[in-house]
Amino acid sequence: MVFSLNNSPSSLSTFESRWLAEAIRLRELTAGALDKGEAAHAAHGVDGDVEQRILFRAQRLGVREGLAQAVADWRPRSRLLLLGLSLLALLSGFGVALTVLGDGSRPVNIVWALGGLLGVHLLSLLLWLLGLWLGGREAGGLLGHAWLWLSTRLSSSQVQVAAALASLLGRAGLMRWWLGAVTHGLWLLLLLGALAGLLLTLAARQYGFVWETTILPAEFFVRFIQGAGWLPAQFGFALPDATAVRAAGSGVQPEEAARHAWSSWLLGSVVVYGIMPRLLLWLLCLGWYGRGRRRLRLDLSLPGYAALAQRLAPASERIGITDAAPKALPHAHVEAAHRVGGHAAVLLGLELRADLAWPPALPPGVRDAGVVDGREQRHRTLTQLAAGVPARLLIACDPRLSPDRGSLEFIAELSRHAGDCRVWLLQPAAGGDAARRAHWHESLRDIGLGEDGVIEDADAALMWLGGDHAG
Amino acid sequence: MPDSNSRPVRIAVVGHTNTGKTSLLRTLTRDTGFGEVSSRPSTTRHVEGARLFADGEVLVELYDTLGMEDPIALLEELESIAQSDGGRVDGPQRIAQFLRTPAAASRFEQEAKVLRQLLASDAAFYVIDVRDPLLAKHRDELAVLGSCAVPLLPVFNFVRDPAADEGVWRETLARLGLHAVVRFDTVAPERGGEQRLYTALATLLDARRETLERLMASREHDAEVRHGAALRLIAELLVDVAACRNSVPGATEAVLSAALNDLNRRVRAREQACVEALLELYSFRSDDVDADQLPLMDGRWDDDLFHPETLHLLGVKIGSGAVAGAAAGVGIDLMVGGITLGAAAALGALIGGGWQALRHTGRRLLGKLTGHVDLTVNDAILRLLALRQLHLLEALESRGHAAMIPIRQFAAQSEELRTGVLPEPLRRARAHPAWSGLCGGLPVDAARQAAIDELAAELAPG
Repeated sequence: MVFSLNNSPSSLSTFESRWLAEAIRLRELTAGALDKGEAAHAAHGVDGDVEQRILFRAQRLGVREGLAQAVADWRPRSRLLLLGLSLLALLSGFGVALTVLGDGSRPVNIVWALGGLLGVHLLSLLLWLLGLWLGGREAGGLLGHAWLWLSTRLSSSQVQVAAALASLLGRAGLMRWWLGAVTHGLWLLLLLGALAGLLLTLAARQYGFVWETTILPAEFFVRFIQGAGWLPAQFGFALPDATAVRAAGSGVQPEEAARHAWSSWLLGSVVVYGIMPRLLLWLLCLGWYGRGRRRLRLDLSLPGYAALAQRLAPASERIGITDAAPKALPHAHVEAAHRVGGHAAVLLGLELRADLAWPPALPPGVRDAGVVDGREQRHRTLTQLAAGVPARLLIACDPRLSPDRGSLEFIAELSRHAGDCRVWLLQPAAGGDAARRAHWHESLRDIGLGEDGVIEDADAALMWLGGDHAG
Repeated sequence: MPDSNSRPVRIAVVGHTNTGKTSLLRTLTRDTGFGEVSSRPSTTRHVEGARLFADGEVLVELYDTLGMEDPIALLEELESIAQSDGGRVDGPQRIAQFLRTPAAASRFEQEAKVLRQLLASDAAFYVIDVRDPLLAKHRDELAVLGSCAVPLLPVFNFVRDPAADEGVWRETLARLGLHAVVRFDTVAPERGGEQRLYTALATLLDARRETLERLMASREHDAEVRHGAALRLIAELLVDVAACRNSVPGATEAVLSAALNDLNRRVRAREQACVEALLELYSFRSDDVDADQLPLMDGRWDDDLFHPETLHLLGVKIGSGAVAGAAAGVGIDLMVGGITLGAAAALGALIGGGWQALRHTGRRLLGKLTGHVDLTVNDAILRLLALRQLHLLEALESRGHAAMIPIRQFAAQSEELRTGVLPEPLRRARAHPAWSGLCGGLPVDAARQAAIDELAAELAPG
């Protein structure tokens, strides 16, 4: 495989795009929004869901901020580093095997040899499992962490990018599988190196195998050797019999068959207790990581993304005005006071609701024209007024309603059938909205009823109606 | 009918003048700047539309129309047309006929625009201010709108007003065959109100049910995401404040009070940042006309965070961490150097409430051994911060409904926050000064993020 140190930021993989988006999010958390809308605006045109738009925006900003390059640089660098570490692991494994077996001048202490080959590996495996159980999101093995640390420290500008990677993978719970895959992969190579070293030295040299003790009984070693060799024996590796084990304890040079059995036992232990679990865990971690990475999406409920999502993919869009406002609105106008013959006064309620005590006690000579609501009542009232035009007409309105054109036009029409016409804005017990009362005043002024034409006070209204102009 | 299902559902929003049609548009589009809203009648003089998206696709088009202002005269006009054609023409045809008359371009221009839009729509929301009595003009209005033969869904606005009288309206609408009615306060809708609105609409528009259900699902999803993000914002604020630990050399009065003021300022600024982020998340501008629906003044909390009265108002007791003479709400830990600090704080996180007592007895003894004073923000302030932000969130989600409830009484689950043991992630944060973003720099720590996520989940009601 050829490793190139130049990865262009425009060729980021889907995963790397998400990583870049995460880096942008983290930077925006500290530095505030990075764009003044231009990247967001461009993202509006992107077909696809919210995440696609966020990724597009991140790509734009990332190129400008240099973060895209940092992300792009990381892949070849980390691969190169991983290659180096892999070679180192293979060689160290090989070296360990040579050291453990020695040059053949002395017989091999089998307990020490096994411990030397598998001890550190088993301890680190135990730690990894413990970390998996206790460590939450980040556990991933020492080697994997070391690799991550190294691959992000090679460049000074990458600290933020590394934080983004940790955040992205940690949130998805992928950190442990990802770093686990690296850790187990490196251990697998180391143990394979050891196996190769063992095979090479066992093939080319002759070793004797012994065990030594000062306080333990020989029976312990028999049980230990046979116990440890039971599992490899299931895979076809040979197991030294009890006589051979006792013989090794007394320092007697073993026969050829026993030497084969010992070699097979040692190789079997490395394969079954070392290589096989690491291979299994490596494949498992790779599998989990691959599956998780395929499912990985930006967590759009993170505050940074949620606010962005609303800007990039708003819930609605204005169409604009589809039918413009009329140029001129019909405008009614009351007829100012004009001379008419009669002296009668009429009180009329316009669209009054039932909760008002209506009609009030009227001064003598005032006729109650009732409450006018519908079309028929309007027509009837107009006909009656036309038949006997009153000198004063008082129209009571409920200020809790909104003044509308229909009511105002009707008031204007009524005014043509009276000598003088005023509007009484009632004071309902429930009070009502001060703003609506103000709108009534405004609307009435528009049709020609100014301050004089509108009465608020009940006594004043009835006094005017009764003909007492002093009020 | 693949043809009719591929285009968006067109909905006209109609009603008498000044009933809150534009407010309904604003709420449904989440666009607080849409159109113009005021308490004046006939504020909207034109027809203006908005598209509603789900997953980037336009599902619904809403059209805000002018208010009907003179329905009594309009119905009379329509009936005179009916007389001239002998009554053999059906409603929509008669409306079309009316739209060609000169009156439709002059006296009834306003109403003509509404009717034109209604004829071009699949359905309409008929917005009713239920504070208004039911008058003849409303009946005539319904008769005119009804003759367009477009499904009408009456929407009751201002339902929470004491003057609201729904009964009369319901009865009359039922007589007109309008049995499906939705209560929807356009300015401060209840939670789930929007769903009920679209569900009711789907019963009227069965052919477009699928489209409307997609819109509802999308809106529900958006709401969940927004809610989750809001809780995370609050959790982040709390972790930042809880984790903050400011070590002050030399315990002289002047140095201590300067450090206290500095810490107070930082916490206030941090809270304000959270408030602003929440407002942005809910697309709420502090200059909105309905900004008074929130428990804020000009986009910030009115009561000072560190004033004892604020705590009292909220029903939070000032814990033993407060020091007499110092500003209320800042606890002082005395620690021996940096090493014991971490251990002691971790111990505190472990035993939670018991720590307060232990610290109290140990303080004098430790004070003699060290010249360093550690400032932390105490539990009462954390409770206050949590309660205030959750209250604001509630107000933002139900647009004002919560603002009418005094902060002391809001949300039943807040009792735990007020007097109970602080959530575990917060006690954990106490032991990790590095998790605090309060003193510059952004902590990016997976364990901190995990604590924030857990806390957000604990803050979620239910």
